[in-house]
Amino acid sequence: MLELTDVHVEYEMEGDGSVHAVNGVSISLEENKILGLIGESGSGKSTLAKAIIRLLAKNGHVPEGAIEYKETDLTELSDREFRTEIRWDEISMVPQNAMNGFDPVYTVGNQIVQAIRTHEDVSKGEARERARALFEQLGIDPGRIDDYPHQFSGGMAQRAMIALALALDPSLIIADEPTTALDVVIQDRILQTLRDLQQEIESSVILITHDISVVSDICDEIAVMYGGRVVEHADVETIIKEPRHPYTLGLRNAFPDIEEDDQDLISIPGTPPDLVEPPEGCGFAPRCPFATDECWDVTPEPEEYGDGHVVECHRADEQELLTEEAKRKETWMDLETEPQQVAEEADD
Amino acid sequence: MSLKKYVVRRIGQLIVTYWAFLTLLFVVFRLAPGDPTSMYLQEGLSAEEREAILARHGLDQPLHIQYVEYMTQYLTGDLGQSFRHGVPVWDVLVVRFFNTIILMGLAFAIAYLIGVTVGAFIGWVRGTRKEKTGIVVTLIARSSPEFWIGILLLMVFTFYLGWFPSGGIRPPGTEYETFLGRYLNWGVAYHLVLPVLTGVIYYMATPTLLMRSSMINVLNSDFIQIKKAEGIPEYIILYKHAARNSILPMTTVVALVVGMSIGGSLVIETVFSWPGMGREMVESVTYNDYPLAQAIFFLMGSLVIWMNFVADLAYVYLDPRVRYD
Repeated sequence: MLELTDVHVEYEMEGDGSVHAVNGVSISLEENKILGLIGESGSGKSTLAKAIIRLLAKNGHVPEGAIEYKETDLTELSDREFRTEIRWDEISMVPQNAMNGFDPVYTVGNQIVQAIRTHEDVSKGEARERARALFEQLGIDPGRIDDYPHQFSGGMAQRAMIALALALDPSLIIADEPTTALDVVIQDRILQTLRDLQQEIESSVILITHDISVVSDICDEIAVMYGGRVVEHADVETIIKEPRHPYTLGLRNAFPDIEEDDQDLISIPGTPPDLVEPPEGCGFAPRCPFATDECWDVTPEPEEYGDGHVVECHRADEQELLTEEAKRKETWMDLETEPQQVAEEADD
Repeated sequence: MSLKKYVVRRIGQLIVTYWAFLTLLFVVFRLAPGDPTSMYLQEGLSAEEREAILARHGLDQPLHIQYVEYMTQYLTGDLGQSFRHGVPVWDVLVVRFFNTIILMGLAFAIAYLIGVTVGAFIGWVRGTRKEKTGIVVTLIARSSPEFWIGILLLMVFTFYLGWFPSGGIRPPGTEYETFLGRYLNWGVAYHLVLPVLTGVIYYMATPTLLMRSSMINVLNSDFIQIKKAEGIPEYIILYKHAARNSILPMTTVVALVVGMSIGGSLVIETVFSWPGMGREMVESVTYNDYPLAQAIFFLMGSLVIWMNFVADLAYVYLDPRVRYD
């Protein structure tokens, strides 16, 4: 349904140069699936999402690549076509902080009605009825549609935001860290609600997060982003149980597993790569304990390892060795000083 | 907190503010040097005559008696007798007060209308050439003194082009029967153009710059992104969401600046020989005409107090969050 082919996103910087925030991402998403997009800050996950719904900042653009949605290349549409045909009707979004997602001076109901009536020729009363039904669906008292956003609690605002996102039965919902601002219990409930509704209305979801435990619960597939590229993409089971990319292995180390006791949390040393002038070779090489000369010189191509498991790593075929080694704390400690140098150069 | 409670509390604040203001006014005028007789001392005013004059105005009484007397008079709307003109202060002021209100009110309304619109626009087109041009023009207007703008306008439109009169409020010799008739006629409109334009140019910059920075703040909010994602047309986002939210801080500023501008009307009134309150204020202070000066300060202060009151009530309607604070 959604097919990205070699998508690049650049931000023009004042002075010279540009930031290559997304560097050739090819990924596809089928109908009725939840795709988790994970990665650390600056990995390009939010930028990629914004590129899909065309909300990049003024200095950002997509110089290369195709974003195909239901057989239409979104990058070819005019602003007007995109606004009237794609936005909200087909693709909607849920922002990180729902409290700021509503205009504070209008009631929540009003804003849902406005979204509906922007795209559909229905009466105010009819749109209001639909807003009430949406509230009910999300477990909010329909009587509260005339409340202002600030009268809602954080969790309720997030539910209302999801109600808004579902208002036009979109085929794709982009949720950008939708539960980061909430406590764990509420977070869990909201994600479950999102999952249930997604299955009910048969839409797809792209769930952006930096929390691997969040995605493992409700996603069907996971794409791991690093330095503006998708370095590993597979179904949830595979990513959690049998990852092949050293970065995914490292990410997994950084989150505890309840079932295993006596485990150290191991973090990945170093900083994300310089995106102004991406160096030759694998972007993760400076932080990778398994990097060889080849990794520093040649950018790895995506390769498939059975049933849609795509990895960009020269050593992905040595899965057993990497998995064993990655569990040891020492592996991640005796790295060369290379990463620091890279970071300093980026500051200049 | 309910709306009713909020309004009641705000009225309570209004009363306290008024009391403090009236007291301050009283103290300031007792502290000021001189009295209505000091101007005439060198003209050979005898001590007895002086005492008589002071007694006539009640100035021989102890301060607390004067204070009570002053409060009762002001509360009953009696602003006292002018020392200099020998007639009730209100008779001197009524015409001049409205002359000033007409001039500055008009200048202000237009300045804010234009300022808010232009500010919203240049905030919206941030980072373009249009924004830069807008800011430069605004800053030039902001840095030009009122008298200089006034003189420049006089030079161009009166002396070179001869389109507008050089001063005054209406053609000489015209008489009007009713209060409204005094202002609602072409003669006054014609005389108003240049002084109002001067005020508009001078007072436009503040709302423009404020609205712009306010807009830029609001445009960075998440909800603007969401509205764009919803596919709502840009112009609706601009006026219904961005401008609507940006205008909130403006209401408070309007209230404050109105007071300042009434005081500042002096300059415009002088340049265009406008028979307004600003000029009367300077004269009454020069002649130690304390009741008159006091009344003018009272009117100006009242305007600020009331504008703030109105702004706070307007806020309730503009921003739903205020009601529940």
